[in-house]
Amino acid sequence: MRLALFVTCLVDLMRPSVGFASLRLLESAGCEVIVPEGQTCCGQPAWSAGNRALSVALAKKAIVELEGFDHVVIPSGSCTDQLRNVYSQLLADDPQWASRAVALAERSHELTSFLSDVLKIDAAPGEFSGSVTYHDSCKGLRALNIKQQPRELLLKVRGLTLKEMPDCEECCGFGGAFSVTFGEVSTRIVDRKCDSIATADAQAVVGGDLGCLLNIEGRLRRRGDLTTQVLHIAEVLAGESGR
Amino acid sequence: MTKLHSQAMFFQARAAEKVANPVLQRALQKAKPLFVGKRSKGIAALAEDQLEFEQLRSACVDIRNRVLSDLDVWLDIFETQAKATGAEVLWARDGEEICDLVIDVARRHGVTKAAKSKSMLSEEAHLNAALAAAGIQPVETDLGEYIVQLAGETPSHIIAPAVHKTLDEIADLFAKTHGRPRQTDIPAMTREAREVLRQHFLSAEMGISGANFLIAETGSAALVTNEGNGRMVTTLPKVHVVITGIEKIVPTLEDFATLMRLLPRSATGQTISNYVSLLTGTRQPGDAEGPEKTVFILVDNGRAKLLGSAYEEMLRCIRCGACMNHCPVYFSLGGHAYGWVYPGPMGSVLTPLFTGLENALDLPHASTGCNQCGSVCPVRIPLPKLMHQLREDQVSAGLRPWSESLALKAWAWVAGKPTLYHWVVRRAARYLKWLADDSGRIRVLGLAPGWTVGRDLPAPPGKTFQELYAARKRA
Repeated sequence: MRLALFVTCLVDLMRPSVGFASLRLLESAGCEVIVPEGQTCCGQPAWSAGNRALSVALAKKAIVELEGFDHVVIPSGSCTDQLRNVYSQLLADDPQWASRAVALAERSHELTSFLSDVLKIDAAPGEFSGSVTYHDSCKGLRALNIKQQPRELLLKVRGLTLKEMPDCEECCGFGGAFSVTFGEVSTRIVDRKCDSIATADAQAVVGGDLGCLLNIEGRLRRRGDLTTQVLHIAEVLAGESGR
Repeated sequence: MTKLHSQAMFFQARAAEKVANPVLQRALQKAKPLFVGKRSKGIAALAEDQLEFEQLRSACVDIRNRVLSDLDVWLDIFETQAKATGAEVLWARDGEEICDLVIDVARRHGVTKAAKSKSMLSEEAHLNAALAAAGIQPVETDLGEYIVQLAGETPSHIIAPAVHKTLDEIADLFAKTHGRPRQTDIPAMTREAREVLRQHFLSAEMGISGANFLIAETGSAALVTNEGNGRMVTTLPKVHVVITGIEKIVPTLEDFATLMRLLPRSATGQTISNYVSLLTGTRQPGDAEGPEKTVFILVDNGRAKLLGSAYEEMLRCIRCGACMNHCPVYFSLGGHAYGWVYPGPMGSVLTPLFTGLENALDLPHASTGCNQCGSVCPVRIPLPKLMHQLREDQVSAGLRPWSESLALKAWAWVAGKPTLYHWVVRRAARYLKWLADDSGRIRVLGLAPGWTVGRDLPAPPGKTFQELYAARKRA
């Protein structure tokens, strides 16, 4: 199986370890993984701002780069939603591109869903001594139906115990540009998420979307919580956090 | 459109103010788990009646879509049936016409006081102010609306108008207005309000209510309430005026029964509300109660133009409030920040549609896109999709700031050129690392100050994935 890893622009810039962890997980499951060099951003910021022309241009660019693989794997629910659900809407009326968008959508997978539903891996190479609590990111949960997969995978990590936080399905308040445009509101929302995390009393909060994680970590630290680790699920599963 | 009195343009400034208000935050913090918990229990209890949420949702969507696809026909049927029961049916294009019609009916019947049950349409029309100016005293009788009226405010939630107020604030308000000793026992306060309101029910010559639904086959108004004030308002005064939107029609009583499976459950978690009234026509000889005169005012105010548009699905809305009850933004601000009648996700769609795209620029963006609203909506309105459509409309209409458009264009241009993009991202990674303190935290981010008002930014390690990966491949 030959697959493309779309690392996402946020991982590329902010936390490369998530990309390497994803690579390790996929390779240790026996996949041939290519990281297409031309990849930049899926275009979600433009789409989210309502700029159709720019989103279409970036969608076409991604389709060209990613359509030659058996699968495309993405360590992010929200970028996966862009490839799986948004591209085909954006290009639905373009006869040259509509079917290519649909074909790519069918082959694009969020990382935990791919590991669990497609590869059905039965062991995770990582090790974690302690408890973690899982934050369901909105796009993963509500746009892609990812709920059990990350939990089942986490339980395969040696030494790890899972402690659910209250309201784990509540939004963390990130929302891309929202977090900057409406900084105070976003802070208020993530503050409630931090309260839930504190209630869970785990050593680490784990999630599948780096945007949410940067938001949560940023608020935890500002609140004075310097100890709760904030980790991407790929890092925990692969045992490769790089920090 | 100043006549709509929208304050939605000030969303951003008001939002910051609301987040910083500790009294409001306490009130909201208390209300949220109640709304969410009760709905979730109410939906779970469907199983006791061998009902399934998704199936019921589909049935409700079908009913609402059936009406919307032939709205003119259903309105015609309703009008004929309502007139046959002795009611008068009037039509209002906008809020101003609502006010004119109500005042005209009041003058015809010598009305000096109008007792009101909750009506969001009357908020759209600013009816209370118009009535007062015409020498008619409007008295809100829904407890929440009554509190809001005493405080000189507007409702901050469509089913819990005073959810933004704390017990203490209401105790002060009652003591001041009623001239009685201050009390903080809720049942005692309710009794006090009831005693005051009873005098109004008995003396008002006109009752004004909304309608949750209009039943086409019988010409009835259906009213779903919990306090009993709705019954008083619609039966005691000699004139009853129903003000409602043209989209509130349902074809049959059976359709109404189906929608009622989900409306109270979605709103308050109740399997059924304390009162469900079906109001048909005027008092007939031998009837024990009922108004001598019933007037329906059916209002457009921006609704008709949504038919057949990209926003038609919004007209399915049955005003349960579940979207705001599950909205992380709503529960950080309360309803007043949204600046017009409808707050929360439904308001972020309706306010720009009803009052003009250019008068509510922030609202379609005041969402994290979490879709907690869409996933609870009993009639499956894709609220985030509609907010997104509004964002696209803003761009098409040239309503976004030039700085935003320029920044996006520049970024997308760079993102389309991988070599350049990777060079820029490498520089950005170095810069962000340089900004961080010893513990790896960026405390102030000049490029995006909104981020660091309440958060640090965890700094990147300084080298991008792409460059590290290239180095690894070379090794």
